[in-house]
Amino acid sequence: MTAVIEQQTMNRTEPRTRFNEVWRVVRLHAVTPSVFFGIPWIILGGAWAVSMIVGIIITGASADVAEMGEGMRYSWAVLSPQWYLVAVGVQAIGMTLSFALGFGATRRDFWLGTSLMFGIVSLLNAVAIATLVQLEKATGGWWIGISMFDALWYGQNGWLVDFYTTLALQLLVLFIGASITTVYLRWRMRGMMILIFGAIALMLAAVALATFTESWPTIVEWLGGIGIVGMFTVVLGLAAFFAIGGYFVIRRATPR
Amino acid sequence: MTRTVVRAGGLTKRYGTFTAVDAVDFTLEENRIYGLLGRNGAGKTTVMQMLTGQIFPDGGTLDVFGREPAEHADVLRRICFIAESQRYPDSFKPSHVFTAAPWFFEHWDAEFAERLVHDFRLPLNRYVKKLSRGQLSAVGVIVGLASRAPLTFFDEPYLGLDAVARHIFYDRLLEDYAEHPRTIVLSTHLIDEVANLLEHLLVIDQGRILLDRDADEVRGSATTVAGGRAAVESFVADRAVIGRESLGGLASVTIDERLGQADRIRAAELGLELAPVSLQQLIVHMTGTDLRADPTEQEVAA
Repeated sequence: MTAVIEQQTMNRTEPRTRFNEVWRVVRLHAVTPSVFFGIPWIILGGAWAVSMIVGIIITGASADVAEMGEGMRYSWAVLSPQWYLVAVGVQAIGMTLSFALGFGATRRDFWLGTSLMFGIVSLLNAVAIATLVQLEKATGGWWIGISMFDALWYGQNGWLVDFYTTLALQLLVLFIGASITTVYLRWRMRGMMILIFGAIALMLAAVALATFTESWPTIVEWLGGIGIVGMFTVVLGLAAFFAIGGYFVIRRATPR
Repeated sequence: MTRTVVRAGGLTKRYGTFTAVDAVDFTLEENRIYGLLGRNGAGKTTVMQMLTGQIFPDGGTLDVFGREPAEHADVLRRICFIAESQRYPDSFKPSHVFTAAPWFFEHWDAEFAERLVHDFRLPLNRYVKKLSRGQLSAVGVIVGLASRAPLTFFDEPYLGLDAVARHIFYDRLLEDYAEHPRTIVLSTHLIDEVANLLEHLLVIDQGRILLDRDADEVRGSATTVAGGRAAVESFVADRAVIGRESLGGLASVTIDERLGQADRIRAAELGLELAPVSLQQLIVHMTGTDLRADPTEQEVAA
């Protein structure tokens, strides 16, 4: 009997390292790739198809192509998957945490693995979107003069800036969804209420402060001064804040 | 020689003013099959959730494989607990569950899992949320068996399983346990179904441990005495009565006692019938106090 037991404990099938325990959470998120990759790209692909059709209709109606491209710069089609990615962040915690705990992952490893997954997804999306912006410019708006990716702040400061801003934005939407869900899992509805009303109160206080001290012009000037890259560095900072906050909240969270 | 796997002392969990688990003490030894028995809401799941680090105790000490389980990867990797109400990501099918399992359970046996999927006729490519209750139980049972975790919990494994599937679970569990001994905790309120599997019983009711004994000791430890009311009452007069039923002039009383030769002869002389009490009946007697309190009092008054 003892021999059997000893043999069994020796019989490790794979070495267990810290990284392995984090990496398996990444694999767990990626086991159904439709969630992180499939659906966001279907949404983006759909938005692209709609933009193309609109472009073909407008060109078909022999309207001014240059004016059309300029008008499309204000379409938010390029950001269409972002709203869905907030929900992905929520689901990654709300549903997968419970499952991962059932499989014996720790909350710490789960959060680190989820963060790593968010990082990988954001990196890939940032590379893809920044590249698509360049492709759209190179092909003259997919040969019909539309401006879907080359829109809003994109396409003006080169590939690297487009990459950096997308990366920051992706991280922010994912970590907002995830970290707010950790608050729910730890403190339930009461925690959510305090969080929501606390955030609203804080914002109102900030607005009041800025108004009474008459510092709005200074703030606008500062935002203008830091430029696109500076603003998205603020976004990245916020993403980091949510990521670190989520880590501390999830350590005592109890999913049902 | 046997090691203690779990040691709980004064373990407590409260939800607001409700005490779900009330200062319980128990230990689990290595390589035995435990039954965690009790009624719905007795605290079975809460105990298992604390043992597996899914919730945090409010009091007491808890030692699993030598330390507190919550947030300790070296402890958790040796545990498998698929809760009866286990939630799965919406996008998951059983195939995803079994794909991910070997990353988390180092002793995972994929071949065994495949055989079990076949035995239970589990559809691998249907979304988990579309599975029937029995198929959902089968997913948990397959993970529990094929993971071969040194400490495995089965939470209500029989829920919704048909007779054939229950039999398969029973057979496969015993076969595999013989080859790969491990500590198993079966939590259920369907006691008779698992009674023969169990080596040790923990009966829990209203957050307290009512019984913590070897199954063999418990089996046949209680006796039901039936016959004429007067004869039964005189026979059980100074014994520990745990259950009492009567119909007209007949009475049937359950006593918490294994009867010796002399008692058996005396019972026969009084014309009484003696019957062993099944585990389920015994636990109904032990945990059904609320139900029984009133009729007993009326009987006494009469």
